[in-house]
Amino acid sequence: MRVRAAGIGTAAAAAVVLALLPFALSAYHQALAAQVGTFFVAILGLNILTGYTGQISIGHGAFMAIGGYTTAVLSRDHHTNLVLTMAAAFAICFCCGLLVGLPALRLAGVYLALATFAFAVSVPQVPLKFSKYLGGSGGVQSAKTVGHLWLYGVSWTTAAVLFVLAWLILRGRTGRAFRAVRDSEVAATSSGVQLPVYKTLAFGISAAFAGVAGSLFVMGTNGFAQPSEFGILLSLQILVGAAVAGLGSLWGVLAGAAFIGLLPTVSSDVPLIGSTHGQDVVFGLIVIVIMLLLPNGVAGLLARLARTRARGLNRGSI
Amino acid sequence: MVMKGKRILVVLATAVLAAAVSATAAFGAHRADPGITKTSIHIGGTFPLTGVASAYKTIPAAESAYYAYVNAHGGVNGRKIDFTVLDDGYNPAQTVPDVQKLVEQDKVFAIVGSLGTAPGLATWGYTNARKVPQVMLATGDSFWGFCARKTCQGSTKPYTSGWQPDYPGEGRLYGKYIAANMPNAKIGILYQNDAFGKNYIAGLNQGLGSKKGDVVDEEGFNATDTVVTQQVLALKAKGADTFFIVATPGQAIAALVTATKIGWSPTTFLANVSAIRPFLLAAAAAGANLNGVISSTYLASPTTQPNLAGMKLGKAIIAQYAPALAADWAVGDSNLVYGMGVAWTFVTALQNAGKNPTRASLMNALHSLNTSKDPFVYPGITLQTSATDNFPIEQEILTKWSGGATGDWHPFGKLLTSGR
Repeated sequence: MRVRAAGIGTAAAAAVVLALLPFALSAYHQALAAQVGTFFVAILGLNILTGYTGQISIGHGAFMAIGGYTTAVLSRDHHTNLVLTMAAAFAICFCCGLLVGLPALRLAGVYLALATFAFAVSVPQVPLKFSKYLGGSGGVQSAKTVGHLWLYGVSWTTAAVLFVLAWLILRGRTGRAFRAVRDSEVAATSSGVQLPVYKTLAFGISAAFAGVAGSLFVMGTNGFAQPSEFGILLSLQILVGAAVAGLGSLWGVLAGAAFIGLLPTVSSDVPLIGSTHGQDVVFGLIVIVIMLLLPNGVAGLLARLARTRARGLNRGSI
Repeated sequence: MVMKGKRILVVLATAVLAAAVSATAAFGAHRADPGITKTSIHIGGTFPLTGVASAYKTIPAAESAYYAYVNAHGGVNGRKIDFTVLDDGYNPAQTVPDVQKLVEQDKVFAIVGSLGTAPGLATWGYTNARKVPQVMLATGDSFWGFCARKTCQGSTKPYTSGWQPDYPGEGRLYGKYIAANMPNAKIGILYQNDAFGKNYIAGLNQGLGSKKGDVVDEEGFNATDTVVTQQVLALKAKGADTFFIVATPGQAIAALVTATKIGWSPTTFLANVSAIRPFLLAAAAAGANLNGVISSTYLASPTTQPNLAGMKLGKAIIAQYAPALAADWAVGDSNLVYGMGVAWTFVTALQNAGKNPTRASLMNALHSLNTSKDPFVYPGITLQTSATDNFPIEQEILTKWSGGATGDWHPFGKLLTSGR
C-alpha cells in the first residue's frame, strides 16, 4: 500500500466517518456495522497471506475459531477482560499460524489449499472431542456480553489499529520479502530472502489477524462460541471477501468486508428469491460477476479508474 | 408586538411539548409491548430452511398455515397473527443476527417456535435480558424446562420455554421398557456426539436403572457426518443385540440401512425426532428392514388416525392454506402435526393472556397451562405447566413399525409419563 498525501487524507476521512457513523445508526445497524468491522480484520489478515505472499488458505475460519474460543473460554473460566482476550487470541493464533505454516513450506497451489481446507474442517471438531473443557456442541458462553455500540467501537478501533500495523509491515522489508515470495520464489531466494522464514511469518501474522477477528465474531454472537458457527463456509466467505477486496486499497478491503458482512441480512429481503435461497443466489451471482469483470477486485477497479483519470488529465494538458 | 407574539408562541409550544411528554410518561406504565396493536400481533421464529437440518422446514410452514386459519376466523381477540420466519441454516452465528433483527428491527412481540438447541443457547441470554418471550422452542433439551427458575449459565431464563417432551424423558421410557421386557439385552448405542445425544443416553441409563450394565458399547458421530458405517460395524462386532439410534433423520436412515446391509438384525429403538414416516419410507426404499423398530410419539398420526377431529382439521387447513404440503400430510410427515400442535398452543396461551396481552401475561399463561384439548397431540395427552413444572408435554406412547416398506408406526401399550 503506497503512501501518498491523498492516501493519508482518505484514511483520515474514513476514520472520521466511522467515528461519527454509529450515532446516525440504530442499535441494530450498529451491530451490523460491527460485523463488517470483524470481517475487515479477517480479510486484512488473509490478504497479507494470499494477496501479498501468494500462499493460498481456505482455512482462516479455523483461526477465527481458535481466536473466538480463546475469548469465550477465558471469559467463562477466568472472567478475563474481553479486550485482553483479543490480545491473547492474537498471540495464540500467531503461534498456531506459524505451526500451520511449517507443513505449508512443502506444499503449494492446490495441495496447500487442500491442506488448509483440512485444517478448516478439523479444527471445529476439537471442541466436540474435548467437550469437558470446550463445551462440546453445547458451546461455550462468555461471562460477559457486550452492547452493540461497544462492539462497534472496539471492532472498528481494532480494525484501524491492525490496518496501520499491516501497512507498516507491508511497506517495509518484510512486505517486500512477501511480495518477492509471491512473484518468484527462485528470484526471492537468489536475492537472499529466506523462504521458510517469510512464508511461516506470513502465516503467523495472517492467522493472528484472523484470531482477533474470531474474538470479535464471538463477541458479536452474544459471546457464544459453538462449532457450527465456524463451518467451512466461513473460510470460503473470507476468501471471497479477500478476492472482492483486491490488493492495496483500503476501500477494497472495506468493500469486501461490507459484502460478506451485510450479505445475509440484505439478501433476505431480495424480491422473488426471498430469504430461503436469497443469500446463496446473490452470493454466487456477485462472485461470478467479480471474477469476470473485476479479477483484481475493487482495488483493481479503483486503480484502473485512477489511471484513466490521470490519462485524461494528461490529455487535457496538451 | 411581533416579538411578544413570538414569545407567546414559544411558551405555548413548550407547554404543549411538556404536556405531551408527561402524558406519554403517564401512559408509559400502560404502554403496550412492541409487536402488538389493536388489530395485529407480530411474532417471529428462526428455522433451518436450508442446510443440514432443512428436513424440518415443514414445521414453520405448518405453523404459518395454522395462523392463516386462525386469522381467517377473526384472529385472537380481533388480532391477526403475523408470523415472520427467518432462515438461520441451523447456524447459531446466523441465529443471533436473525433474532436481533426480529427483536430490534421488526420489534416482534415474541419469538415463537425457533428450532435448534445451539441456536437457542446462542440467543437465550439476549432474549431474557430484554424480557422478550422465546417460547415453544423446537428442541427437547431439558434446559428449556429447568432454567425458567434455576440459574443456568449465570442467570435464570424465565422468558424461555420448550414444548415437546424432553430428550432425557424419552430416553427414560426406552430404558424402562428394556429393563422390564428385555432385561438381558446387550445394548449398542449410536449417538450424535453433542448435548442432544448425551441427553438421550443419560435418560436411557436412568430408565435402565439396575440394568445399566446392559449397555455394551456407545459409538458417537458428529452432526455433520453423512455416513455412520464404522460405528454400526463396531456395535455389531461388540455383540449388541439391541440397537439404540439417537440421530436426526439423515444419519438415522443411514444407520437403519447399514444395519440391514451388514446382516445385523437387532431390536432397534429410534429416537422420535427421526421417526418421521417419510424418512422411514426412504430408509426402506434404500434397503432397510424396518419391521419391529420401536420408537415413541406424542403426536396424532395423519395416516393411522385420520378420523380424529384434529387430523381432519389439519388436513383441511393444509388443503386450504398450504396446498403445497398436501402430499407431505398424506404420507404422514409428523413435522406438520408438530407445527400445528405448537401453533395451537401459542394461540391458546394468547387467548389466556387476556384481552390486551402483554409479554408478561403471555409468559404467565404459558407457565399455567392445563389443557387436554390440543387436537394435534396424541389423544389423552395433557399440556400442563405450573410454578414447579415448565415442561408442557410429559407423556408419550411407544410405537412399533410394521408393514415393511409401505408400513407405519402403530402405538402399543398405554400412554406413559416421561416426567421425573
